[in-house]
Amino acid sequence: MSFDFVEPVVFAVLAFGVIGAGAAVVLLDRITASALLMALTFLCMAGMFVLLGAETIAAFQVLIYVGAITVLILFGVQFTKQGGDRSYALFFQKQYPLAAALVAAVAIPVALFAFSFTAPAPPPGGGDIRPLATSVFTDYAFAFEVASVLLLAAMVGAIVLTTRDERAEAARRRK
Amino acid sequence: MPVGPLGLDPLFWAPLRLIIAVALALFLVLNGALLQIYLERKIQAIIQDRLGPYHVGPFGLLQTFADAIKLIAKEDVRARATDPWFFLAAPALVFCPMLASWVVLPFAQDIVGVDLNIGLLYLTTLGSMTVLGIVIAGWASNNKYALVGGLRSAGQLISYEIPQILALVSVALVVGSLSMIDITRSQAGPMVNVFVLPFSFLIYFIAALAETNRTPFDLPEAESELVAGWLTEYSGMRWGTMLALSEYGNVTVVSSIVTTLWFGGWQGPGVDAIPLLGVLWFTLKVYGVIVVMMWIRATLPRLRIDQLMTFCWLGLIPLALLNIMVVAVLALAFPDTKIPIALASWLLVIAFIAGVPFVQRRRLALLRARASASAVRAAS
Repeated sequence: MSFDFVEPVVFAVLAFGVIGAGAAVVLLDRITASALLMALTFLCMAGMFVLLGAETIAAFQVLIYVGAITVLILFGVQFTKQGGDRSYALFFQKQYPLAAALVAAVAIPVALFAFSFTAPAPPPGGGDIRPLATSVFTDYAFAFEVASVLLLAAMVGAIVLTTRDERAEAARRRK
Repeated sequence: MPVGPLGLDPLFWAPLRLIIAVALALFLVLNGALLQIYLERKIQAIIQDRLGPYHVGPFGLLQTFADAIKLIAKEDVRARATDPWFFLAAPALVFCPMLASWVVLPFAQDIVGVDLNIGLLYLTTLGSMTVLGIVIAGWASNNKYALVGGLRSAGQLISYEIPQILALVSVALVVGSLSMIDITRSQAGPMVNVFVLPFSFLIYFIAALAETNRTPFDLPEAESELVAGWLTEYSGMRWGTMLALSEYGNVTVVSSIVTTLWFGGWQGPGVDAIPLLGVLWFTLKVYGVIVVMMWIRATLPRLRIDQLMTFCWLGLIPLALLNIMVVAVLALAFPDTKIPIALASWLLVIAFIAGVPFVQRRRLALLRARASASAVRAAS
């Protein structure tokens, strides 16, 4: 007897986690629950990466998305009133036909593509950090640099948006 | 039929191994917490010229057992206005990542749960997940002190994660691996990494104190200003799980990282002859680091939140980046020897220790000048 059955079972659990938690993020009307379930979605995605043999990507997924981004979102949620979670407007416009049409427009091509996908499985090796780093700094150097410039621009923008002009503020207070 | 270890079918062996590993980790976490609480109280007592616990058992050794029994026997209190789901989930969210990080700790040559080739990254990842539970606990408590504690914790832990990871990078640059086993193996002999990379050790240790909420960085709890911070609404074993088990478990994990990366892990005299001796060396080194952390707790006062953030963003992060640059350049320039890296690192340490009072004095002068200027403006 072998362990061949374990991988499909784990995959099924993870897939259920990703889709279920992802749907709940959008459908629940409690913002804290949504934020936490988003963390669960990210964790399940990390599990998928582990199944694909890409442990490094999985680790970064958890480190950045669960450890940093979700915490930042929760940091914002802390300023909301406890117990008085208002259902937020974005996902609750109740446009059912439109929503169904949008989901179908994306989901049907993706499903068709997924079931017709027959490329051979890539060799495992994403867990090895050395080839990963080499490919990032050689083959994908341009994309890497573009992404870092984008992040730098976002960072500078955030600083510019949040700095307060102390002198102007003092002048306003004096009036 | 394939036969696994001990002549068992692998089908039985794999789950059995999992159960043994989890039970062993739980055993170590529970006993480590009991021991470390006793140690903490005794060390603080010695430093503050008191006796510490001495009534229960010889030298008060059974005091923490009595405390643990008391915690388990306590009534399970939950205030009505707290959020039921998140309030119950938070202790588990704090505890689980800590327990999972024990998988990769190398206790001795072959005594390690699993030798991941990204072991170090895995540990950092799990360390960053603890924040989630703390923030949720602070929010779900529906208590202003708890909320402020959770907010502080989120800001503090996210900030101090950056210098922590940057400090680990320089070790990975020198060793060339992220596996805890390989890092330990690379430090055979007396030339352990702390002599080569003292500056990254300094940065990591400071950031780790903040990451484990230890004084002088225990602002999320801050008894004197926030009651108990994010733990205010918790009592009984839930409080015990969060504070005692998770905090001391995290302290042990962080100390194990320090031991493995900078102090040679299980390596020590006589390990080649008797591999099991590695467990003793590893434990001794880990508890050495823990005792230093307790010594710091009994000695230094707590920082203010703005000092904490300024120190991280304006002090530690630029210094950690500088450290990476220096180590990377020297590692490329002199691939055969570690001596230039060691020299540069020690110079950085000396500059840091000499520079901190200088910068501090200039900042104080600046603040005083600004205060007097605003006083003049208010008077006119």
